[in-house]
Amino acid sequence: MAEERLEYHIYEVFAQESQMAPAVHQFSLLASSPDMALILAKENFLRRQKAWSVWVVRRDHIHRTGPEEAEMFDRLDKSYRETEGYRYLKEKWRRYKHEPLTTQTMT
Amino acid sequence: MTARIETPAQALADPACRRALVELLYQLADDDLALGHRDSEWMGLAPHIEEDVAFASIAQDEVGHANAYYALLVDLGEAESADALAYGRSPGEWRCAVLLERPNGPGHYLKDPQFDWGYTIARHYLYDLFEMVRLEALMESAYLPLAQLAAKVRREERYHLLHMETWVKRLARHSSVSRARLQAGLEKAWVDLYGLFSLGPEGPAMAALGLLPGGRDRLWQTWRERAQALFAEAGLPWPGDPSPVMLDGRAGQHSADLEALLATMTEVYRLDPAARW
Amino acid sequence: MPDDYRQYLIRLIAMHGISEIMGALPEKEWVPRAPTLHRKLAIMAKVQDELGHGQLLLRVAEDLVAPLGMNREDLLNGLFKGTIHFHNVFHMPAPTWADAGIIGWLVDGAAIITQGMLVQGSYAPYCRALERIIAEESFHIQHGESICIALAEGTKAQRQMLQEALNRWWEPLLFFFGPPPKSELTKHQDLGLMYRLRNRTNEELRQRFFHKYVPRIQALGLTIPDPNLRLDKETNTWHYTQPDWSKFKAILRNEGPMSKARLILRHSAWEQNRWVREVLSTRAAVAV
Repeated sequence: MAEERLEYHIYEVFAQESQMAPAVHQFSLLASSPDMALILAKENFLRRQKAWSVWVVRRDHIHRTGPEEAEMFDRLDKSYRETEGYRYLKEKWRRYKHEPLTTQTMT
Repeated sequence: MTARIETPAQALADPACRRALVELLYQLADDDLALGHRDSEWMGLAPHIEEDVAFASIAQDEVGHANAYYALLVDLGEAESADALAYGRSPGEWRCAVLLERPNGPGHYLKDPQFDWGYTIARHYLYDLFEMVRLEALMESAYLPLAQLAAKVRREERYHLLHMETWVKRLARHSSVSRARLQAGLEKAWVDLYGLFSLGPEGPAMAALGLLPGGRDRLWQTWRERAQALFAEAGLPWPGDPSPVMLDGRAGQHSADLEALLATMTEVYRLDPAARW
Repeated sequence: MPDDYRQYLIRLIAMHGISEIMGALPEKEWVPRAPTLHRKLAIMAKVQDELGHGQLLLRVAEDLVAPLGMNREDLLNGLFKGTIHFHNVFHMPAPTWADAGIIGWLVDGAAIITQGMLVQGSYAPYCRALERIIAEESFHIQHGESICIALAEGTKAQRQMLQEALNRWWEPLLFFFGPPPKSELTKHQDLGLMYRLRNRTNEELRQRFFHKYVPRIQALGLTIPDPNLRLDKETNTWHYTQPDWSKFKAILRNEGPMSKARLILRHSAWEQNRWVREVLSTRAAVAV
C-alpha cells in the first residue's frame, strides 16, 4: 500500500500574551498539519516571551489587501471623532469649576 | 498651456476664472453632500450590521469631502463658513446632479422607509466611478489648492469604489433575484445619469482654463471605458448611452427631492441660523 | 461552562448587543438633521460606533449560542418576538436636537459607568469587546458634552430646548440602572454577582452616576426636575424621588412610549433587506 504524501503548508503564527491581549503575528513556519504547526510554533517563536494562547492559520486561508491598496487606509482629517477634536471642553469645564469626566475617572 | 493659479487671490483677479472655478467647486461640494446625506439616512437600517458600520464611513467621507470643497469656496469669499453654504442656500442655488438628490427608495427615513439596496449600490457605483475619474482630472487642475485636495480625497474614494464594485459584482452574479434588483437599480439611475456629466454653463471655461482638464469629454470617455469593463466582468448588459435629462442640476434645476432633502437637513439649523450649535 | 452561566451570559450579552443596535435608533433620527457639518459628521461617527458596539457584542453572543444551534438571525428574531429585550432607556422618544445631546452626554455617561463594572467580569470574550467599546466612549461623552454645552451657552431658546430634554430624560436615567435591591425585579442581579459578572448593585451604580453628573448638570445652569434630590454629606448618599417603577415594568413588556415604533422600524428594515443577506450568506447560483 502506497503511503499518502502529506503536503507541507505555510502556517502564519499568532500569539496572545494574556487572555485579554490581542493575538499578534509572530512569524510563519512550515508544517504538514495544524496540530503539528501548533507544537512547532511554541518552540520556534515563543521561547522567551510570555504567551497565553497561540494560533496558527494556513497562509492560503488568509485574504489580505496588497501594497497597491495601502493608500485606501489613509484618512483625511477625522478630528470630529477623535478626543483631540474636543480638547476645548477641558477649558470649558474649568470655567464651570469642574474637571472633565473621562472613561478612567468614571469607572 | 494653461496658467497655474496658486492662490485664491490669483483666481479672484480674473472674473472669468473666478466664475468657472466657483461653479466647479459648488458641483463638487454639492454632489458629495447630497449623496452623503442620502447615505446617512441608511444608518441603522442597512441589510447587515457590518455593512451598516462600513456604509456609515462612506457617508462620513462624502460629507467630509463636501466640507473641504466648501472651505475652498470660503477662501474665495463665497461665504463666512462652510455651514452657511451647506445649510443656507435655496435649492435653485444648488449645483449637484439630480441623480445624487434622489431618495434611497420609497418612504421616509423616520417613518416606514422602504429603502432599495439595489438602487443604492447602483447609484453609488456609477457616481463613485465618476468621482474617481473627475478626481484624477482634478489632480492636474490649474488651481493648485484644488489639485492638492483632489489628491487627498482620491485616497478615500478608492475604498468607496472598491466597496461598490464588490457589491455590484456580487449582486450581478449571485441569483436571478439579486441580479434583477441590481438591474432595476441601474435602470432607475440611468434615467438621471446624463446629468452627472453636465458641467453646466461654465463647463467649457472649466476645461479651457485647465480647472478641470479635459472637461466633459474626458470624464465621459474615461468613465464609459471603465464602467463597460466592470459591466462585462459582472456579466451585465450595457444599457446604452444615457439620454439627456430634463433637469440639469448643474444649472440649478432640481427635483422636489432636493427640496425635501434640504427641508430635512436644515430643520434644526433654520431654528436659528445665527446661533452656535 | 455551567449551563446557567452560559444562559446568564447569553441573556446579558445578547441584550447588550441588541440594545446597541436599537440604541442607535433614537440618535440616528438626528443624523440627517444635525445643524452643522461638524455635528453631522460627529453624530454619524457616534451612531456608527454604537452600531459597531452592537456588532462586537453580537459576535460574542453568537459564539455563545452557536453550540445551541443558533445564530445572529435567531438573536434578531428574539428581539422581534419579545424574548430578548432592548435596554429600557431606548424606548423613549427623542423629539429635539437637544435630546440627541442629552443622550450622548448622560445616557452614554450612565452606560460607561455600567460598562466600567462589566469589563471587570469573569467572561474574557465579553471583556475584550467591552475594552474596545470603552475606548471609543471617550469620544462619545465629549460629543454629548459638546452639544449640551453649546446649547447651555446658546440662546434662550436653545437653553430651554436643553432643559426640556433633561426634564424628559431624568426619569429614564433613573430607570437606566434598574430597580433598587430587594425588589422582585432584581433576581438577575444576584446571579450576576454570584458569577462575578458584576460587583455593584443597581443602586450603587445609580449613586455613582449622581456623584459624577448632578454637580455638572447644575454647573451648566440646568435644573434637575426633582425637588427632593440632595446629597446627604454624612452618608455620601443622594436622596431622590423614586421614579414610577410601573412605567419601567411596562417598558419591560415593550409597552414604552416608542417600543413598538422602534421594533417595527428595525423589523421592517430587517425583512425588506432579507434578500441582500441571502446574497451574502448563500453561494452564487448564476453562472457568468
